[in-house]
Amino acid sequence: MKYAQLIRILVGRELTLRYKRSVIGIGWTLLNPMLTSFVLWVVFSFVFASKLPGTQQYAPYLMAGILLNTFFNQGVTLSAESIAHNGPVLTKIYVPPQVFPVSTALAGLVNFFIGMIPLSIVCLISGQSVAWTMPLVLLVGVCLALLTAGIGLTLSIMYIRFDDTRNIVTVMLMILMYFTPVFYPISILSERLQRIIVLNPLTSYLDVFRWAFSNNATVTAFDWLYMFGTSFVSIAIGTFVFKKYWPRTVAML
Amino acid sequence: MAVIEVKNVNVTYRVLMNRTGSLKELFRDVLKRKARVVNYVALKDISFSVDKGEVVAILGRNGAGKSTLLKVLAGVLPPTKGTSKVDGKIAPMIELGAGFHPEMTGAENVLFYSALMGREVKHVKSRTAAIGEWAGVSDHMDFPLRTFSSGMVARLAFATATDEMAEVLLVDEVLSVGDGDFHANSRARMNSLISGGAAVVLVSHDMRAVLELATKAVWLENGHVKMIGNPAEVVAAYEAS
Repeated sequence: MKYAQLIRILVGRELTLRYKRSVIGIGWTLLNPMLTSFVLWVVFSFVFASKLPGTQQYAPYLMAGILLNTFFNQGVTLSAESIAHNGPVLTKIYVPPQVFPVSTALAGLVNFFIGMIPLSIVCLISGQSVAWTMPLVLLVGVCLALLTAGIGLTLSIMYIRFDDTRNIVTVMLMILMYFTPVFYPISILSERLQRIIVLNPLTSYLDVFRWAFSNNATVTAFDWLYMFGTSFVSIAIGTFVFKKYWPRTVAML
Repeated sequence: MAVIEVKNVNVTYRVLMNRTGSLKELFRDVLKRKARVVNYVALKDISFSVDKGEVVAILGRNGAGKSTLLKVLAGVLPPTKGTSKVDGKIAPMIELGAGFHPEMTGAENVLFYSALMGREVKHVKSRTAAIGEWAGVSDHMDFPLRTFSSGMVARLAFATATDEMAEVLLVDEVLSVGDGDFHANSRARMNSLISGGAAVVLVSHDMRAVLELATKAVWLENGHVKMIGNPAEVVAAYEAS
């Protein structure tokens, strides 16, 4: 593919730029989720740790949630912004504009995979071992990258057309986070609430991810189907919306 | 032989009559059935062609459609009606340095900019040193771009954009890059590209530069071609208006 080298450069740029001016640089990719998890662990472990069923451990449960949530949140916001950010380029040189949101989602994917290192450490510390199903995490990552890229593509059009999209998206993402069992076990909720939480696609991604990584959750066939289904639908809608509205939107850049 | 062939190009935008461009207000307007869509005509029935080695200047006041036309030529904006055909590689020299990032080094920026233009990364890597030298920033290539002066950035961008032969150059007011010495060098390089067979589309408000370089001039007004032909005549009519 003609634009593969461009995507490669963009992904590299994305990864190094984020922490370029800090002393430990890319090391933050490792440290960031660990610190966040640690803080939340201190706060919440008293409340939720005992609520997890069977052999499930709270520390890896929490960290898996944070890693996945960070990937999703950052992926959506950054890839939605990427088109507006690169507007000066896109109005002058012809490159398929989708290259930018896709590279951002891929950079998020790399970050997510790097996060598997601290997650393994936390797993071992809390007395769990990494399961043999671990390679399936690859699938979760790819599906999540497709999901974020699809949403990012749709939003990137709206970011350019409507200035307040950014604010609305920030609030929506926060609400979504609370509707995802990131730091609480789903079993503490009432049955009615549980039914709503299960409708959130991220719940399925998270179930599969926790189960595949260290058997730290139960996974159903619905979870798998929902994960594949939403990632496919998301990227399909994103590509379609982008194709349809881009010619009108580029004029506004 | 025509390198650029523009035939009956029309560009129409559908614009939402939505005062502030906010989603909240659009939602409210839709509820009140006050949302309106208006057609805005940016380019109307534009036709011209540019041959090898020709330099075509586009004249017009602000809002006449010059930058929209450049977007169409660059292939960034598909025309609503009509066709715009460009044969060969395009080197856009519009707002030089768009795409440069202040935190990346000079060399990294050269590589990225070249990849944007679809050049082979391996080849560019071997050329980076030469590009830096030509731009007179050899000593700075490994430092972040934010440490460069604005003249250095412009020089580096110009050197990168013109490093490989291109069949089409789209130029927007960049002939005044840098100081006297570099000015002469860049002019020389432009001339060698033109004599090498590049077709040039030039947007400029500098009538002296137009008269000096152009072989043909197109005068745009409100999105349509007001006059086309010999630069001296077009410039005279444009300045008289």
